[in-house]
Amino acid sequence: MRVPVAFGQYVPVDSPIHALDAKTKMGLVAAFTAGVFMVDGFPGLVVMALVVVAAVAVSRVPWRIAVRGVRALSFILAFTLLAHGLRWNPATVTLVRLGPLAVDGPGLVTGVFFAARIMLLVVGTSLLTLTTTPVQLTDGLERVMRPLEVVRFPAGEVAMMLTIALRFIPTTAAEAEKIVIAQTARGARFDEGGPIRRARAFVPVLVPLFINLFRRAEDLALAMESRCYRGGRGRTRLNASVMRPADWMTLAFATVVMIAVGVAL
Amino acid sequence: MNPSRVRIAAEIGLSIALAAVLQLIAVWQLPQGGSYSLTMAPLFVIALLRGPSAGLTAGALYGVIDFLIKPYPPLHPAQWILDYPLAYALVGLAGFASLRWQRQAAEGRGASAFWTAIVPGVVLGALGRYASHVASGLVFFSSYAIDAGQAPLIYSLAYNSFVLVSAAACAAVLGAVMPQLHRLVSRQAT
Repeated sequence: MRVPVAFGQYVPVDSPIHALDAKTKMGLVAAFTAGVFMVDGFPGLVVMALVVVAAVAVSRVPWRIAVRGVRALSFILAFTLLAHGLRWNPATVTLVRLGPLAVDGPGLVTGVFFAARIMLLVVGTSLLTLTTTPVQLTDGLERVMRPLEVVRFPAGEVAMMLTIALRFIPTTAAEAEKIVIAQTARGARFDEGGPIRRARAFVPVLVPLFINLFRRAEDLALAMESRCYRGGRGRTRLNASVMRPADWMTLAFATVVMIAVGVAL
Repeated sequence: MNPSRVRIAAEIGLSIALAAVLQLIAVWQLPQGGSYSLTMAPLFVIALLRGPSAGLTAGALYGVIDFLIKPYPPLHPAQWILDYPLAYALVGLAGFASLRWQRQAAEGRGASAFWTAIVPGVVLGALGRYASHVASGLVFFSSYAIDAGQAPLIYSLAYNSFVLVSAAACAAVLGAVMPQLHRLVSRQAT
């Protein structure tokens, strides 16, 4: 049994969108989502679709990868279409009738509208994780949360915990894989019995993983404290990322455009 | 001696890493295509050993990491909060059974503590996560104007029931793991 470390969806290519600061991209996704939800007609959705097509083209993320999320949601898309478009024994005139089941014209149009909105949201918001590494996103998240330090929110500590988690996922995965292989070699079976029996088969894997976790936490805390780490407040970074004028301009322009489209169309 | 704040932060970070790894290992592949994992186990462990605030923090941050690793784009902004940070933060509710667990484990009653501390903690945490996912389903139905009477609630309750199966599996595992961890953590504290 292998432990597949599917680490995010980041597509490592050079593009103007990859070069934007993570905080800018989070702001863009928020503005885009707000705009898509404010749009209440097809003209607005068409404009938003053009924005998404342009963004994917500029990001140089292959289309096959950019639309992968839509395939994963095909069930929800079909459900949305059918829930709006199909009627059981309707009293009014409908588009097509198949016995008691009928395809309702106006309902189908509403279904297409909502399905299109889902597709736009999926492709548009996926661009954030496709063009930003998890580490950059964590860094961006810390800077978004920093103003909350005024109300004693430990933004620095939160960022440190997220950084430790991301740093140790590959190490823990390698460890888990080694233990699974070792236990399999001793005759352990992970594919027999019902859900509870299978879960209990993982106990010999989990015990060493948890013991390593607590031992490592002790060493890590000792190393951090001996380097005078006392929480995140006032900590500086070796490679600090900042929002450049291009980031501010992109964010301001795109936010105005998306909110304007949302209000007008 | 109480563990330092830095020590608990390190434990939370490493528990999130372990939860993320366990998420990638499907313990059981359901016939209709779904699967469940033991991803909640490290969150339950940290909640039971370190209390509700550590549990809630670990869960909320795991929710963020889960989204970064396996992003499933939300169809409504509220769904992102309900399906990721809030759902997993509520797993940390298990921490309300922490005092009882620690008292009974310290008295050497680890076996009876399974029914009196671990199971109630797991049930509380799992129901919290389940409620959050169900609410997220209802947000989907209402934001996409699907009016089907009680059906959305029933569908959402059934669709998210994998959380309960996963919690039962976690409880079975914790019964074996927790006494050993209690001994280790007590030794480290002295």
